[in-house]
Amino acid sequence: MAQRTRQGLFALAVAMLAIGAWLGLSWAPPDREMGDVQRIMYVHVPSMWMALLAMTLNFACSIGYLLKKSWAFDSLAEASAEVGMLFGAVGLALGSIWARPTWGVWWTWDPRLTTAAILLVAYAGYLALRRFVEDPERRAVWAAVTGIVAFVDVPLIWYSVQWWRSIHQIQSSPKTVDPQMVLTLRWNTFAFLALGIFFIWSRYRVAQSERRHELAAPPTLPSAPQGLTASGVRL
Amino acid sequence: MNARHPPGLLEGAFLILRKDLLIEWHTRARLNALLFFALATLLIFSFALGPDTKLLEQNAGGYLWLAILFASLMALGESFRVERENASLDGLRLLPVNPRAVFLGKALGNAAILFGLSLVLIPVMVGLFGVSLALGLGSLGLILVLGCLAISAPGTLYSAIASNARARDVLLPLLLFPLIIPALLAAVKATSLVFQGDPMSQLNSWLLLLGGFNLTYWGLGVALFPQVIEE
Amino acid sequence: MMLDRVLPLLIEQLAAQYPVGAGRIQGGWGYVWASYGITWGAFAVYSLSLWLRRAHPPMPEEHQ
Repeated sequence: MAQRTRQGLFALAVAMLAIGAWLGLSWAPPDREMGDVQRIMYVHVPSMWMALLAMTLNFACSIGYLLKKSWAFDSLAEASAEVGMLFGAVGLALGSIWARPTWGVWWTWDPRLTTAAILLVAYAGYLALRRFVEDPERRAVWAAVTGIVAFVDVPLIWYSVQWWRSIHQIQSSPKTVDPQMVLTLRWNTFAFLALGIFFIWSRYRVAQSERRHELAAPPTLPSAPQGLTASGVRL
Repeated sequence: MNARHPPGLLEGAFLILRKDLLIEWHTRARLNALLFFALATLLIFSFALGPDTKLLEQNAGGYLWLAILFASLMALGESFRVERENASLDGLRLLPVNPRAVFLGKALGNAAILFGLSLVLIPVMVGLFGVSLALGLGSLGLILVLGCLAISAPGTLYSAIASNARARDVLLPLLLFPLIIPALLAAVKATSLVFQGDPMSQLNSWLLLLGGFNLTYWGLGVALFPQVIEE
Repeated sequence: MMLDRVLPLLIEQLAAQYPVGAGRIQGGWGYVWASYGITWGAFAVYSLSLWLRRAHPPMPEEHQ
């Protein structure tokens, strides 16, 4: 049943993305100043929002794991970090492509871009840590600690527009923007959200499966019963 | 302290701090290596970036903190080596010492080593890069203290993690560097202001930023360290 | 004077270069297609990686 729901979600996400692409590439008007380059915003902004959402989920799961040692928290943390990296990398690349015709440069060291890049490297470190620690329980604890500390970066990204002078776009409220653009952006945001949920859910299942394999003791050794770790943590 | 009264948080921290600093002092070879590494880094910067003294002087703050940061990797990487090689972390765990005290002691020890290092580097900066202390030694001292504390807190936390993982020499900088960049930025900007003067009174904002980072990182370290070394 | 006649013409010329609705940045569709292409490409590759890693039912007789 859950399998059907997941597949349905994927189909929904793909359909929404297709419509969103049509909205973004054709239906929405060109911007008064940015022209057609504005259309990149319809994929860049939702991508960055999904990345931040995923990182927030990672933060919550990291805290959750430290409070209650459940493998579900750990797997969900792993899934959300990886998916967050995906959306973040895509978003950063798109932002750079957008910057070239509008600001004239591929990259600039303004606070928002800088912290976004830092965030990506920080979570790359998180994923590297997960790969370099063999013991599942220690890995879960240390990853949780690392995830919490890395997340402290996230508010810096979101509020840096207000805190420092920055050439990044001031977040425009929908009232001041063409309604067609608002709709296009909103639609694409929900499309990316649907896809993101599908990715995280699927990656979570992969992680849980890996945990089961790791914790299953070889039959020749005295072992904990299937489905429990040696210390009795339920899978 | 006697067996009936386990040391409190601060007392425990002080004991760990004293132990670590004593070990460092007795094996001075390592401290010397650290110092020469930092000096060599500064020398390399001056060679690599050319003889244009104006440029060197302008960017001196950056070079100083880069040298401290690279040296910190050595210092932090070693921070738990003694415990790992002698399995004495188990001993520490068995003792009625609060794990938070272990963190405080170790992190303060690392900060102290880095601060000592940076003090030695200042006259070298003056000689090699021709900088002058426009805002005085007090301001510089404060920036050095705050910066070394800011590196040491997350560095000690991550060192405890990395020293038990594979590829520990790669993992520590990979984990630490992205996190430390904003604090590093604040320290470099503040140091440059000290070297070159502060006509627009920006120093206080950078110091506040450094202070804020320290509060955050030390708080997180104290909160999370017990989980990190728990068996 | 000459300027009275030339100036409006100059302004009209200048204005014609920025027609309302087309934006000051002309074209740039290359950037737009590159962006959408990267987005879809990345999502497709990741979807594939998820499918390749899809959860296999646990097999108790497997040796690690």
